[in-house]
Amino acid sequence: MSPLGLFVVFILIVAVALILWFISYYNRIRILSNRIEEGWAQIDVQLKKRYDLVPNLVETVKGYASHEREIFERVAEARAGMITGSREDRVGASNALTGALRTLFAVAESYPDLRASENFRLLQEQLDGIESKIAYARQYYNSSVLTYNNLITTIPGTWFAGGRPKHPFLEIPEEERKAVKVEF
Amino acid sequence: MGRVSFYDEIARNKRNSLLLAILVSLILFALVYTLVFLFAPDLAVMALLLSGFLITLHAYGSYRYGDSVVLSATSARPAEGPEYLHLRNTVEGLSIAAGITPPKVYVVKSEEINSFATGRDPEHSSIAITTSALNELDRQELEGVLSHEISHIRNRDILFMTMVAVLVGLAAIISHIIVRTFRFGGVGRVQVGRGDRKEKRGGGIGAIILVVGFFLAIFAPLLTRLVQFAVSRRREYLADASGAELTRYPEGLALALEEIKEKNQGKMDVSEAVSHLFIVDPNKSPLDALYATHPPIEERIKRLKAM
Repeated sequence: MSPLGLFVVFILIVAVALILWFISYYNRIRILSNRIEEGWAQIDVQLKKRYDLVPNLVETVKGYASHEREIFERVAEARAGMITGSREDRVGASNALTGALRTLFAVAESYPDLRASENFRLLQEQLDGIESKIAYARQYYNSSVLTYNNLITTIPGTWFAGGRPKHPFLEIPEEERKAVKVEF
Repeated sequence: MGRVSFYDEIARNKRNSLLLAILVSLILFALVYTLVFLFAPDLAVMALLLSGFLITLHAYGSYRYGDSVVLSATSARPAEGPEYLHLRNTVEGLSIAAGITPPKVYVVKSEEINSFATGRDPEHSSIAITTSALNELDRQELEGVLSHEISHIRNRDILFMTMVAVLVGLAAIISHIIVRTFRFGGVGRVQVGRGDRKEKRGGGIGAIILVVGFFLAIFAPLLTRLVQFAVSRRREYLADASGAELTRYPEGLALALEEIKEKNQGKMDVSEAVSHLFIVDPNKSPLDALYATHPPIEERIKRLKAM
Protein backbone atom coordinates (compact mmCIF):
# COMPACT_ATOMS: atom_id res chain seq x y z
CA MET A 1 0.00 0.00 0.00
CA SER A 2 1.20 3.47 -0.83
CA PRO A 3 1.98 5.91 1.99
CA LEU A 4 -1.07 7.92 1.02
CA GLY A 5 -3.30 4.83 1.28
CA LEU A 6 -1.89 4.06 4.73
CA PHE A 7 -2.56 7.61 5.82
CA VAL A 8 -6.18 7.44 4.64
CA VAL A 9 -6.70 4.15 6.49
CA PHE A 10 -5.18 5.69 9.62
CA ILE A 11 -7.47 8.72 9.41
CA LEU A 12 -10.48 6.46 8.94
CA ILE A 13 -9.61 4.36 11.99
CA VAL A 14 -9.15 7.46 14.11
CA ALA A 15 -12.46 8.87 12.87
CA VAL A 16 -14.35 5.68 13.67
CA ALA A 17 -12.75 5.50 17.12
CA LEU A 18 -13.73 9.10 17.79
CA ILE A 19 -17.31 8.46 16.72
CA LEU A 20 -17.56 5.37 18.94
CA TRP A 21 -16.09 7.34 21.82
CA PHE A 22 -18.63 10.10 21.28
CA ILE A 23 -21.51 7.59 21.15
CA SER A 24 -20.42 5.87 24.33
CA TYR A 25 -20.24 9.15 26.23
CA TYR A 26 -23.49 10.42 24.75
CA ASN A 27 -25.24 7.23 25.88
CA ARG A 28 -23.69 7.34 29.29
CA ILE A 29 -24.91 10.88 29.85
CA ARG A 30 -28.38 9.88 28.66
CA ILE A 31 -28.45 6.79 30.91
CA LEU A 32 -27.41 8.79 33.95
CA SER A 33 -29.95 11.48 33.23
CA ASN A 34 -32.64 8.80 32.90
CA ARG A 35 -31.54 7.43 36.22
CA ILE A 36 -32.23 10.81 37.82
CA GLU A 37 -35.74 10.78 36.32
CA GLU A 38 -36.25 7.24 37.60
CA GLY A 39 -35.10 8.43 41.02
CA TRP A 40 -37.68 11.18 40.91
CA ALA A 41 -40.39 8.70 39.90
CA GLN A 42 -39.57 6.70 43.03
CA ILE A 43 -39.96 9.78 45.21
CA ASP A 44 -43.17 10.72 43.41
CA VAL A 45 -44.73 7.30 44.04
CA GLN A 46 -44.02 7.57 47.76
CA LEU A 47 -45.26 11.17 47.95
CA LYS A 48 -48.56 10.11 46.36
CA LYS A 49 -48.92 7.13 48.68
CA ARG A 50 -48.36 9.40 51.61
CA TYR A 51 -50.80 11.94 50.23
CA ASP A 52 -53.48 9.22 50.00
CA LEU A 53 -52.80 7.76 53.41
CA VAL A 54 -52.81 10.93 55.51
CA PRO A 55 -56.62 11.52 55.40
CA ASN A 56 -57.17 8.01 56.85
CA LEU A 57 -54.87 8.86 59.70
CA VAL A 58 -56.52 12.22 60.31
CA GLU A 59 -59.98 10.60 60.32
CA THR A 60 -58.82 7.98 62.81
CA VAL A 61 -57.31 10.57 65.12
CA LYS A 62 -60.36 12.82 64.81
CA GLY A 63 -62.49 9.97 66.12
CA TYR A 64 -60.69 10.25 69.46
CA ALA A 65 -59.34 13.78 69.59
CA SER A 66 -61.57 15.97 67.46
CA HIS A 67 -60.64 19.20 69.25
CA GLU A 68 -56.96 19.22 68.25
CA ARG A 69 -57.95 21.44 65.33
CA GLU A 70 -54.70 23.34 64.98
CA ILE A 71 -52.61 20.29 64.24
CA PHE A 72 -55.14 18.97 61.71
CA GLU A 73 -54.86 22.26 59.85
CA ARG A 74 -51.09 22.07 59.77
CA VAL A 75 -51.25 18.52 58.42
CA ALA A 76 -53.81 19.48 55.75
CA GLU A 77 -51.75 22.46 54.65
CA ALA A 78 -48.53 20.49 54.29
CA ARG A 79 -50.36 17.65 52.54
CA ALA A 80 -51.84 20.00 49.92
CA GLY A 81 -48.36 21.30 49.08
CA MET A 82 -47.14 17.81 48.26
CA ILE A 83 -48.79 17.62 44.85
CA THR A 84 -48.16 21.07 43.43
CA GLY A 85 -45.11 23.12 42.60
CA SER A 86 -41.52 22.25 41.82
CA ARG A 87 -39.73 19.13 42.95
CA GLU A 88 -38.08 21.03 45.76
CA ASP A 89 -41.39 22.50 46.87
CA ARG A 90 -43.10 19.12 46.92
CA VAL A 91 -40.34 17.42 48.86
CA GLY A 92 -40.23 20.46 51.14
CA ALA A 93 -43.98 20.15 51.78
CA SER A 94 -43.47 16.48 52.51
CA ASN A 95 -40.82 17.38 55.08
CA ALA A 96 -43.16 19.90 56.65
CA LEU A 97 -45.73 17.10 56.78
CA THR A 98 -43.20 14.91 58.57
CA GLY A 99 -42.93 17.58 61.25
CA ALA A 100 -46.70 17.96 61.50
CA LEU A 101 -47.19 14.20 61.73
CA ARG A 102 -44.60 13.93 64.49
CA THR A 103 -46.59 16.48 66.47
CA LEU A 104 -49.79 14.59 65.68
CA PHE A 105 -48.31 11.32 66.93
CA ALA A 106 -47.01 13.05 70.03
CA VAL A 107 -50.50 14.42 70.67
CA ALA A 108 -51.91 10.92 70.16
CA GLU A 109 -49.73 9.71 73.03
CA SER A 110 -52.14 11.31 75.48
CA TYR A 111 -55.12 9.34 74.15
CA PRO A 112 -54.69 5.74 75.37
CA ASP A 113 -57.71 4.47 73.40
CA LEU A 114 -56.28 5.90 70.20
CA ARG A 115 -52.85 4.47 70.86
CA ALA A 116 -54.37 1.05 71.49
CA SER A 117 -56.32 1.14 68.22
CA GLU A 118 -55.01 -1.48 65.81
CA ASN A 119 -55.93 0.72 62.86
CA PHE A 120 -53.94 3.64 64.26
CA ARG A 121 -50.84 1.56 64.89
CA LEU A 122 -50.96 0.13 61.39
CA LEU A 123 -51.32 3.59 59.86
CA GLN A 124 -48.43 4.84 61.94
CA GLU A 125 -46.24 1.96 60.76
CA GLN A 126 -47.22 2.55 57.14
CA LEU A 127 -46.51 6.27 57.34
CA ASP A 128 -43.20 5.59 59.07
CA GLY A 129 -42.29 3.23 56.26
CA ILE A 130 -43.19 5.76 53.58
CA GLU A 131 -41.24 8.46 55.37
CA SER A 132 -38.07 6.39 55.38
CA LYS A 133 -38.67 5.34 51.77
CA ILE A 134 -38.88 9.00 50.76
CA ALA A 135 -35.58 9.58 52.54
CA TYR A 136 -34.00 6.61 50.74
CA ALA A 137 -35.43 7.65 47.40
CA ARG A 138 -34.04 11.14 47.88
CA GLN A 139 -30.67 9.63 48.71
CA TYR A 140 -30.76 7.61 45.48
CA TYR A 141 -31.87 10.69 43.55
CA ASN A 142 -29.07 12.82 44.93
CA SER A 143 -26.42 10.19 44.37
CA SER A 144 -27.62 9.82 40.77
CA VAL A 145 -27.40 13.60 40.38
CA LEU A 146 -23.88 13.52 41.80
CA THR A 147 -22.75 10.84 39.33
CA TYR A 148 -24.33 12.79 36.47
CA ASN A 149 -22.82 16.11 37.50
CA ASN A 150 -19.42 14.51 37.98
CA LEU A 151 -19.53 13.07 34.49
CA ILE A 152 -20.60 16.25 32.70
CA THR A 153 -18.23 18.56 34.56
CA THR A 154 -15.02 16.54 34.36
CA ILE A 155 -12.79 15.87 31.38
CA PRO A 156 -13.52 14.12 29.04
CA GLY A 157 -17.24 13.97 29.82
CA THR A 158 -17.54 17.74 29.68
CA TRP A 159 -16.46 17.74 25.99
CA PHE A 160 -19.45 15.59 25.14
CA ALA A 161 -21.97 17.21 27.45
CA GLY A 162 -22.70 19.96 24.92
CA GLY A 163 -22.95 22.63 27.58
CA ARG A 164 -25.66 20.80 29.54
CA PRO A 165 -26.18 22.49 32.91
CA LYS A 166 -25.52 20.69 36.17
CA HIS A 167 -28.59 19.01 37.59
CA PRO A 168 -29.75 20.53 40.89
CA PHE A 169 -29.75 18.40 44.04
CA LEU A 170 -32.88 17.93 46.11
CA GLU A 171 -31.90 19.86 49.16
CA ILE A 172 -33.93 20.39 52.27
CA PRO A 173 -34.23 24.09 53.11
CA GLU A 174 -32.91 24.98 56.53
CA GLU A 175 -36.25 26.09 58.03
CA GLU A 176 -37.95 22.84 57.01
CA ARG A 177 -35.19 20.84 58.61
CA LYS A 178 -36.11 22.59 61.84
CA ALA A 179 -39.80 21.77 61.37
CA VAL A 180 -39.09 18.14 62.21
CA LYS A 181 -39.15 19.12 65.86
CA VAL A 182 -42.14 18.09 67.95
CA GLU A 183 -44.42 20.98 68.87
CA PHE A 184 -47.42 21.14 71.17
CA MET B 1 -14.30 4.77 44.24
CA GLY B 2 -17.32 3.08 45.80
CA ARG B 3 -19.08 2.90 42.47
CA VAL B 4 -16.10 1.53 40.64
CA SER B 5 -15.58 -1.26 43.12
CA PHE B 6 -19.20 -2.33 43.08
CA TYR B 7 -19.34 -2.51 39.28
CA ASP B 8 -16.08 -4.48 39.43
CA GLU B 9 -17.68 -6.80 41.93
CA ILE B 10 -20.69 -7.40 39.68
CA ALA B 11 -18.43 -8.28 36.77
CA ARG B 12 -16.27 -10.51 38.96
CA ASN B 13 -19.29 -12.37 40.34
CA LYS B 14 -20.77 -12.97 36.90
CA ARG B 15 -17.43 -14.32 35.70
CA ASN B 16 -17.02 -16.55 38.77
CA SER B 17 -20.52 -17.96 38.37
CA LEU B 18 -19.84 -18.82 34.76
CA LEU B 19 -16.50 -20.42 35.63
CA LEU B 20 -18.17 -22.45 38.35
CA ALA B 21 -20.85 -23.69 35.96
CA ILE B 22 -18.15 -24.71 33.46
CA LEU B 23 -16.10 -26.44 36.14
CA VAL B 24 -19.06 -28.42 37.45
CA SER B 25 -20.03 -29.35 33.92
CA LEU B 26 -16.56 -30.71 33.27
CA ILE B 27 -16.60 -32.73 36.50
CA LEU B 28 -20.04 -34.16 35.72
CA PHE B 29 -18.89 -35.02 32.23
CA ALA B 30 -15.76 -36.77 33.53
CA LEU B 31 -17.80 -38.66 36.10
CA VAL B 32 -20.39 -39.97 33.64
CA TYR B 33 -17.71 -40.78 31.11
CA THR B 34 -15.62 -42.75 33.59
CA LEU B 35 -18.66 -44.74 34.68
CA VAL B 36 -19.62 -45.61 31.13
CA PHE B 37 -16.03 -46.38 30.21
CA LEU B 38 -15.72 -48.81 33.14
CA PHE B 39 -19.05 -50.60 32.86
CA ALA B 40 -20.40 -50.20 29.36
CA PRO B 41 -17.65 -49.16 26.94
CA ASP B 42 -19.95 -49.70 23.94
CA LEU B 43 -22.34 -46.96 25.01
CA ALA B 44 -20.04 -43.98 24.40
CA VAL B 45 -22.71 -42.09 22.47
CA MET B 46 -25.21 -42.66 25.25
CA ALA B 47 -22.64 -41.33 27.70
CA LEU B 48 -22.34 -38.11 25.75
CA LEU B 49 -26.10 -37.69 25.68
CA LEU B 50 -26.49 -38.55 29.35
CA SER B 51 -23.76 -36.21 30.52
CA GLY B 52 -25.12 -33.49 28.27
CA PHE B 53 -28.51 -33.96 29.89
CA LEU B 54 -27.10 -33.94 33.42
CA ILE B 55 -24.98 -30.87 32.77
CA THR B 56 -27.93 -28.93 31.35
CA LEU B 57 -30.13 -30.07 34.20
CA HIS B 58 -27.62 -29.01 36.82
CA ALA B 59 -26.70 -25.69 35.25
CA TYR B 60 -30.26 -24.67 34.48
CA GLY B 61 -31.61 -26.05 37.73
CA SER B 62 -29.17 -24.30 40.01
CA TYR B 63 -29.49 -21.04 38.07
CA ARG B 64 -33.27 -21.07 37.87
CA TYR B 65 -34.33 -22.89 41.05
CA GLY B 66 -31.31 -22.48 43.33
CA ASP B 67 -33.10 -19.88 45.45
CA SER B 68 -36.16 -22.12 45.97
CA VAL B 69 -33.87 -24.96 47.02
CA VAL B 70 -32.06 -22.75 49.52
CA LEU B 71 -35.29 -21.25 50.88
CA SER B 72 -36.91 -24.63 51.42
CA ALA B 73 -33.70 -26.09 52.89
CA THR B 74 -33.84 -23.38 55.56
CA SER B 75 -37.65 -23.71 56.01
CA ALA B 76 -38.12 -20.03 55.22
CA ARG B 77 -41.71 -18.84 54.88
CA PRO B 78 -42.93 -15.62 53.27
CA ALA B 79 -43.15 -12.60 55.58
CA GLU B 80 -46.83 -11.84 55.08
CA GLY B 81 -49.29 -10.00 57.25
CA PRO B 82 -49.25 -6.78 59.26
CA GLU B 83 -46.74 -8.02 61.85
CA TYR B 84 -44.03 -7.95 59.17
CA LEU B 85 -45.04 -4.60 57.71
CA HIS B 86 -42.03 -2.87 59.22
CA LEU B 87 -39.67 -5.55 57.88
CA ARG B 88 -41.10 -5.30 54.37
CA ASN B 89 -41.01 -1.49 54.49
CA THR B 90 -37.37 -1.49 55.52
CA VAL B 91 -36.38 -3.91 52.76
CA GLU B 92 -38.31 -1.84 50.22
CA GLY B 93 -36.72 1.41 51.40
CA LEU B 94 -33.20 -0.01 51.21
CA SER B 95 -33.91 -1.38 47.72
CA ILE B 96 -34.96 2.09 46.63
CA ALA B 97 -31.71 3.49 48.00
CA ALA B 98 -29.73 0.79 46.20
CA GLY B 99 -31.71 1.30 42.98
CA ILE B 100 -32.82 -2.34 42.67
CA THR B 101 -36.18 -4.12 42.45
CA PRO B 102 -37.27 -5.00 46.00
CA PRO B 103 -36.54 -8.66 46.81
CA LYS B 104 -39.11 -11.04 48.28
CA VAL B 105 -38.95 -11.21 52.07
CA TYR B 106 -38.91 -14.44 54.09
CA VAL B 107 -38.76 -15.34 57.76
CA VAL B 108 -36.96 -18.33 59.29
CA LYS B 109 -38.07 -19.53 62.70
CA SER B 110 -34.97 -19.69 64.89
CA GLU B 111 -33.49 -18.68 68.22
CA GLU B 112 -30.39 -17.36 66.49
CA ILE B 113 -29.96 -13.87 65.03
CA ASN B 114 -29.09 -14.39 61.40
CA SER B 115 -30.10 -13.61 57.82
CA PHE B 116 -29.23 -14.43 54.24
CA ALA B 117 -29.98 -13.42 50.65
CA THR B 118 -30.38 -15.68 47.66
CA GLY B 119 -31.51 -15.61 44.03
CA ARG B 120 -29.98 -15.08 40.63
CA ASP B 121 -30.33 -11.33 40.01
CA PRO B 122 -32.07 -8.42 41.74
CA GLU B 123 -35.31 -9.14 39.84
CA HIS B 124 -35.34 -12.70 41.19
CA SER B 125 -34.00 -12.38 44.67
CA SER B 126 -35.08 -13.07 48.23
CA ILE B 127 -33.99 -12.00 51.68
CA ALA B 128 -34.64 -14.19 54.71
CA ILE B 129 -34.24 -13.18 58.34
CA THR B 130 -34.70 -15.18 61.53
CA THR B 131 -37.56 -14.50 63.93
CA SER B 132 -35.03 -13.91 66.68
CA ALA B 133 -33.36 -11.16 64.65
CA LEU B 134 -36.75 -9.45 64.38
CA ASN B 135 -37.31 -9.73 68.12
CA GLU B 136 -33.85 -8.87 69.40
CA LEU B 137 -32.60 -6.17 67.04
CA ASP B 138 -33.83 -2.60 67.19
CA ARG B 139 -34.78 -0.72 64.05
CA GLN B 140 -31.36 0.63 63.21
CA GLU B 141 -29.64 -2.69 63.82
CA LEU B 142 -32.22 -4.47 61.68
CA GLU B 143 -31.70 -1.88 58.98
CA GLY B 144 -27.94 -2.52 59.15
CA VAL B 145 -28.36 -6.29 58.75
CA LEU B 146 -30.81 -5.88 55.87
CA SER B 147 -28.56 -3.36 54.13
CA HIS B 148 -25.78 -5.97 54.15
CA GLU B 149 -28.10 -8.44 52.41
CA ILE B 150 -29.36 -5.84 49.92
CA SER B 151 -25.71 -5.16 49.03
CA HIS B 152 -25.14 -8.86 48.39
CA ILE B 153 -28.04 -8.71 45.95
CA ARG B 154 -26.88 -5.55 44.22
CA ASN B 155 -23.30 -6.83 43.95
CA ARG B 156 -24.63 -10.08 42.41
CA ASP B 157 -22.96 -12.13 45.16
CA ILE B 158 -26.18 -14.10 45.45
CA LEU B 159 -25.90 -15.98 42.16
CA PHE B 160 -22.47 -17.39 42.87
CA MET B 161 -23.23 -18.13 46.51
CA THR B 162 -26.50 -19.87 45.64
CA MET B 163 -24.84 -21.98 42.97
CA VAL B 164 -22.21 -23.07 45.47
CA ALA B 165 -24.97 -23.95 47.95
CA VAL B 166 -26.73 -26.16 45.41
CA LEU B 167 -23.48 -27.84 44.45
CA VAL B 168 -22.41 -28.56 48.02
CA GLY B 169 -25.91 -29.76 48.85
CA LEU B 170 -25.85 -32.10 45.88
CA ALA B 171 -22.47 -33.51 46.87
CA ALA B 172 -23.77 -33.98 50.41
CA ILE B 173 -26.82 -35.89 49.16
CA ILE B 174 -24.70 -38.15 46.96
CA SER B 175 -22.23 -38.94 49.73
CA HIS B 176 -25.15 -39.58 52.06
CA ILE B 177 -26.56 -42.10 49.59
CA ILE B 178 -23.15 -43.76 49.28
CA VAL B 179 -22.72 -44.05 53.03
CA ARG B 180 -26.20 -45.49 53.39
CA THR B 181 -25.64 -47.99 50.61
CA PHE B 182 -22.46 -49.18 52.20
CA ARG B 183 -24.17 -49.55 55.53
CA PHE B 184 -27.44 -51.24 54.55
CA GLY B 185 -26.67 -53.82 51.92
CA GLY B 186 -25.55 -52.71 48.50
CA VAL B 187 -21.88 -53.47 48.55
CA GLY B 188 -22.07 -55.45 51.76
CA ARG B 189 -24.60 -57.84 50.31
CA VAL B 190 -22.36 -58.72 47.37
CA GLN B 191 -20.20 -60.96 49.45
CA VAL B 192 -23.02 -62.80 51.20
CA GLY B 193 -25.55 -62.71 48.32
CA ARG B 194 -27.08 -66.11 47.54
CA GLY B 195 -28.55 -65.74 44.04
CA ASP B 196 -26.22 -65.27 41.06
CA ARG B 197 -28.26 -62.48 39.53
CA LYS B 198 -28.47 -60.56 42.76
CA GLU B 199 -24.75 -60.85 43.25
CA LYS B 200 -23.97 -59.40 39.83
CA ARG B 201 -26.39 -56.50 40.17
CA GLY B 202 -25.25 -55.65 43.64
CA GLY B 203 -21.65 -55.79 42.48
CA GLY B 204 -22.35 -53.40 39.58
CA ILE B 205 -24.05 -50.81 41.72
CA GLY B 206 -21.40 -51.17 44.38
CA ALA B 207 -18.67 -50.48 41.86
CA ILE B 208 -20.49 -47.49 40.42
CA ILE B 209 -20.88 -46.10 43.90
CA LEU B 210 -17.21 -46.70 44.56
CA VAL B 211 -16.30 -44.69 41.48
CA VAL B 212 -18.65 -41.86 42.43
CA GLY B 213 -17.26 -41.94 45.96
CA PHE B 214 -13.76 -41.81 44.58
CA PHE B 215 -14.66 -38.74 42.53
CA LEU B 216 -16.22 -37.09 45.54
CA ALA B 217 -13.15 -37.84 47.62
CA ILE B 218 -11.02 -36.13 45.01
CA PHE B 219 -13.28 -33.12 44.74
CA ALA B 220 -14.20 -32.73 48.41
CA PRO B 221 -11.24 -30.43 49.17
CA LEU B 222 -12.12 -28.44 46.08
CA LEU B 223 -15.68 -28.04 47.35
CA THR B 224 -14.41 -26.88 50.71
CA ARG B 225 -12.22 -24.32 49.01
CA LEU B 226 -15.19 -23.18 46.95
CA VAL B 227 -17.27 -22.61 50.06
CA GLN B 228 -14.49 -20.60 51.63
CA PHE B 229 -14.09 -18.69 48.41
CA ALA B 230 -17.83 -18.01 48.34
CA VAL B 231 -17.65 -16.15 51.65
CA SER B 232 -14.39 -14.47 50.82
CA ARG B 233 -13.48 -11.68 53.17
CA ARG B 234 -13.50 -9.18 50.37
CA ARG B 235 -17.11 -10.02 49.57
CA GLU B 236 -18.32 -9.73 53.18
CA TYR B 237 -16.39 -6.57 54.00
CA LEU B 238 -17.63 -5.01 50.79
CA ALA B 239 -21.24 -5.91 51.62
CA ASP B 240 -20.76 -4.40 55.09
CA ALA B 241 -19.30 -1.24 53.61
CA SER B 242 -21.82 -0.77 50.83
CA GLY B 243 -24.60 -1.56 53.29
CA ALA B 244 -23.34 1.29 55.44
CA GLU B 245 -23.32 3.46 52.34
CA LEU B 246 -27.05 2.76 51.96
CA THR B 247 -28.09 3.43 55.55
CA ARG B 248 -25.48 6.17 56.07
CA TYR B 249 -25.11 4.68 59.54
CA PRO B 250 -22.38 2.03 59.90
CA GLU B 251 -23.01 1.93 63.63
CA GLY B 252 -26.33 0.10 63.03
CA LEU B 253 -24.72 -3.00 61.56
CA ALA B 254 -21.82 -2.80 64.02
CA LEU B 255 -24.27 -2.86 66.95
CA ALA B 256 -26.19 -5.73 65.36
CA LEU B 257 -22.97 -7.73 64.98
CA GLU B 258 -22.10 -7.04 68.59
CA GLU B 259 -25.49 -8.32 69.66
CA ILE B 260 -25.03 -11.40 67.49
CA LYS B 261 -21.63 -12.03 69.04
CA GLU B 262 -23.16 -11.86 72.47
CA LYS B 263 -26.36 -13.80 71.97
CA ASN B 264 -25.82 -16.37 69.23
CA GLN B 265 -24.95 -19.89 70.33
CA GLY B 266 -23.89 -20.96 66.84
CA LYS B 267 -26.33 -23.82 66.86
CA MET B 268 -28.70 -22.98 64.09
CA ASP B 269 -30.26 -26.04 62.56
CA VAL B 270 -29.27 -25.54 58.93
CA SER B 271 -27.34 -27.60 56.41
CA GLU B 272 -23.62 -26.94 55.94
CA ALA B 273 -24.43 -26.43 52.27
CA VAL B 274 -26.15 -23.10 52.92
CA SER B 275 -24.13 -21.83 55.88
CA HIS B 276 -21.93 -19.59 53.70
CA LEU B 277 -25.01 -17.61 52.62
CA PHE B 278 -25.65 -16.31 56.13
CA ILE B 279 -24.43 -12.98 57.48
CA VAL B 280 -22.69 -14.81 60.34
CA ASP B 281 -21.76 -18.48 60.50
CA PRO B 282 -24.89 -20.36 61.69
CA ASN B 283 -22.93 -23.41 62.88
CA LYS B 284 -20.05 -22.38 65.04
CA SER B 285 -17.54 -25.12 65.77
CA PRO B 286 -14.45 -25.31 67.97
CA LEU B 287 -12.42 -25.72 64.79
CA ASP B 288 -13.50 -22.31 63.56
CA ALA B 289 -10.14 -20.68 63.96
CA LEU B 290 -8.66 -23.20 61.54
CA TYR B 291 -11.58 -23.69 59.30
CA ALA B 292 -13.61 -20.49 59.37
CA THR B 293 -15.88 -19.79 56.43
CA HIS B 294 -16.76 -16.32 57.70
CA PRO B 295 -14.52 -13.37 58.50
CA PRO B 296 -14.20 -12.76 62.24
CA ILE B 297 -17.00 -10.64 63.70
CA GLU B 298 -14.59 -8.53 65.78
CA GLU B 299 -12.74 -7.43 62.67
CA ARG B 300 -15.98 -6.54 60.90
CA ILE B 301 -17.15 -4.46 63.87
CA LYS B 302 -13.81 -2.70 64.01
CA ARG B 303 -13.95 -1.80 60.33
CA LEU B 304 -17.54 -0.55 60.56
CA LYS B 305 -16.73 1.62 63.55
CA ALA B 306 -13.76 3.11 61.73
CA MET B 307 -15.95 4.32 58.82
